[in-house]
Amino acid sequence: MPSIRFHTPLAIAFASAALALAGCGRGDDVATAQSVAERFFSALQSGDGGQACAQLSPDARAELESQEERSCREAVTELQLEGGRVVRVEVYVTNAKIDLSSGEATFLDQGEEGWRLSAVGCKAEDGSPADHPYDCELQA
Amino acid sequence: MPAIRNHGLVLFFGAIFLATIVGQAAVGQDDFNHGQLAHHNDPVSLTRYVTSSDFWVDVLENWQSEYLQFTLFVVATVWLLQRGSPESKELDKAGTESDEEQRVGSQADERSPRWARVGGWRTRIYSNSLLLVMAGIWIASWLAQSVTGRIAYNAEQFDHHQAAVSWTVYVGTSDFWNRTLQNWQSEFLAVGSMAVLAIYLRQRGSPESKPVGAPHEATGVEG
Repeated sequence: MPSIRFHTPLAIAFASAALALAGCGRGDDVATAQSVAERFFSALQSGDGGQACAQLSPDARAELESQEERSCREAVTELQLEGGRVVRVEVYVTNAKIDLSSGEATFLDQGEEGWRLSAVGCKAEDGSPADHPYDCELQA
Repeated sequence: MPAIRNHGLVLFFGAIFLATIVGQAAVGQDDFNHGQLAHHNDPVSLTRYVTSSDFWVDVLENWQSEYLQFTLFVVATVWLLQRGSPESKELDKAGTESDEEQRVGSQADERSPRWARVGGWRTRIYSNSLLLVMAGIWIASWLAQSVTGRIAYNAEQFDHHQAAVSWTVYVGTSDFWNRTLQNWQSEFLAVGSMAVLAIYLRQRGSPESKPVGAPHEATGVEG
């Protein structure tokens, strides 16, 4: 059936292109990234340093421990974070940003452990936040 | 096999297109993952990569420039001439030419395509169908480049802890125009150089060349 032989590769190509065009935020990724951020701030509120650290990326945990010269579970609860509820989630490929009601933002990466926080307590500096990196309380 | 012989050009270029885009996917994934590791991110699978905006922006920025090249070449060669080039019409043939020369409407014969014979809007559309389709593919692929490019750009923005940009902002960025212009310049150079080189150089047997013995000033002749 020649038509199927010709149409199947085209269909695969168009499907791949459609997935790529929609790659700005697949539903599962948006929900998962939001859950990670909410678990982190909920853990901080309840003083559960272990649970909070589990939401950080390995590099963010290592950076915190290096910065504070203590274990992550001890240091994380003392981060100066305003937190707040999630007001916006943006996902692009394997990177995400979550805006909180306090005006702070958090950044996430998708790695081997799944979506994890790579920077928390981030505030935009003077100038356009698209041109200048956020100033973050903790970043990998 | 007559079918293969009669369609050899399409089959050959179709085959090498498939081979090279598969190759692009493989080396592109390797290059992408090299960057992932450098940024302390995890590598992605081939399936994830070929459905990503990073792969498709690289594909589409090239596709759109190729179709722009053909769009401009098709329309430019209607009115612009190049003495001595087989890429040009003869020096007295600038413009859309007569119905008799183009064999449309009452000047068409029974073997002409139907829309060339019927006249009216159908013939007008068919008379410009090559330009319309080439331009349509160019615009669609350029638009798709801008969409996928913005996604890949914003992923990079987040990786650097910067804010994402809207599509309107993205199409004004140097990232978008760098991708666009680096492709355009090579396409225009290729067409221009082909038009000039073919004045003085020959390739026996190719319709892209003048006959080997044709004079340099002979215009619009094919080998």
